[in-house]
Amino acid sequence: MNKQTVEFKGTKEGVTIYCLDGISLEDIISDLTIRLQQRASFFAEAEVRVDVGSRQLAPEEKELLASVIGKHSKMKLVAIQTVSDRPPVVSSAGRRSGGIDELKMEGYKEGRSLVIKRTLRSGQGIHFPGTVVVLGDVNPGAEIVAEGDIFVYGTIRGIAHAGVGGDRSASVVALRLAPTQLRIADVISRAPDEASLLPDQPEYAYISDDRIMIASVTTKLGS
Amino acid sequence: MGEVIVITSGKGGVGKTTSVANLGVGLALLGKKVALIDADIGLRNLDVVMGLENRIVYDLVDVVEGRCRSKQALIRDKRYDTLFLLPAAQTRDKNAVTPEQMKVLCSELKEEFDFVLVDCPAGIEQGFRNAIAGADRALIVTTPEVSAVRDADRIIGLLEAAELGDPRLIINRLRPDMVKRGDMMDIEDILEILAIDLIGVIPDDERIIISTNRGEPVVTSENGAMSGQAYRNIVRRVVGEDVPFLELHKNSSIFNKLKKMMGLGG
Repeated sequence: MNKQTVEFKGTKEGVTIYCLDGISLEDIISDLTIRLQQRASFFAEAEVRVDVGSRQLAPEEKELLASVIGKHSKMKLVAIQTVSDRPPVVSSAGRRSGGIDELKMEGYKEGRSLVIKRTLRSGQGIHFPGTVVVLGDVNPGAEIVAEGDIFVYGTIRGIAHAGVGGDRSASVVALRLAPTQLRIADVISRAPDEASLLPDQPEYAYISDDRIMIASVTTKLGS
Repeated sequence: MGEVIVITSGKGGVGKTTSVANLGVGLALLGKKVALIDADIGLRNLDVVMGLENRIVYDLVDVVEGRCRSKQALIRDKRYDTLFLLPAAQTRDKNAVTPEQMKVLCSELKEEFDFVLVDCPAGIEQGFRNAIAGADRALIVTTPEVSAVRDADRIIGLLEAAELGDPRLIINRLRPDMVKRGDMMDIEDILEILAIDLIGVIPDDERIIISTNRGEPVVTSENGAMSGQAYRNIVRRVVGEDVPFLELHKNSSIFNKLKKMMGLGG
């Protein structure tokens, strides 16, 4: 019942309060209030950052957070940040050896992504303004709609819509790609009417010449 | 302190009520004190399947609305002294009861009974929410049909959302001959989609219909009905025994594969 909702971490700049994912702002505020009351003297007048994870807060929600911190502690709130503001983690191995060249990647640095570590079942759906990663299956009757790419480490049997909003470069990748319907940007394709066997390898769906093409992940990467 | 188990499916007509009746009788045969709650208000059936229709005086709605005590509404089974039924009201609908009232009722009954089995109505609305409200665990009934499996998947998702985790699956009305011909989903296909643990497989058996019409659950039948044996095995698994799965079809490989999958050996 009483699961952790926030995490305090000390850094050289001060204190960062991480709001853990999957918890409502309401719970976070009530938990934060209690913790601040308990530990106000410990933090004294440190500088504090609040990391809200992947949440997109409205201005009044930010004000509410700020007022809770101001009311129950003497800390100075310097920023409310999201996942994308977190400093990149530099691996110690890379730093020490100094011999590894940083690759010039052509990829993109995804600002927003959502990782779902379970199976989406019939009637469950996700609409996310970014990349969606599922560690599990997407069952028939379930739906993933993402403005970016969709990666499923499992079987897609439901509906996947990548690049909603018009990004035709978006793609759908799954260990087993067997969706009832596949959509990328404004292009739609559906499963053949006759039952087909589950593919035996990971596949990659993308738009080419206004049509959704499906290729084995290995061929696509090799090309 | 007993345990409240809800038997649910999403889809109608897959065998929830039959399963509740058979598991109830099976548990009573093991000497457990069992209460069956028919949560299908307005479309009650469990009393008919149990052959207790003519003994109903008070019902579930009378209990939650305080017109009688739960003891007065509980009907003792004809044959088994430790088996009781709390029938649904027929003249009301699902909105006559709230999930909170069901929670209170279930916690009251499990003080007294070893097992409280709740027969959930079809659908995912108020009746479903009532039925799962007081449950400690869930058994999901499906048949080897895509529509039933789809609904079972939806139900599993809703149970997860209600934090009623780790449901077990009963596959009902399996026809090994059809599976063998490739005309019916096999157990593996179903488990691959639903990804929950199996607690039993009931073969399709006309004796179920006969026994249902007579109001005498098949679980008691001594005539070697495979379906009765399958229910007896589920009952033993419900009380925590480790029982190997039935070989429904000689020389069939499904069960061997299944056993292998479940680590039971060949």
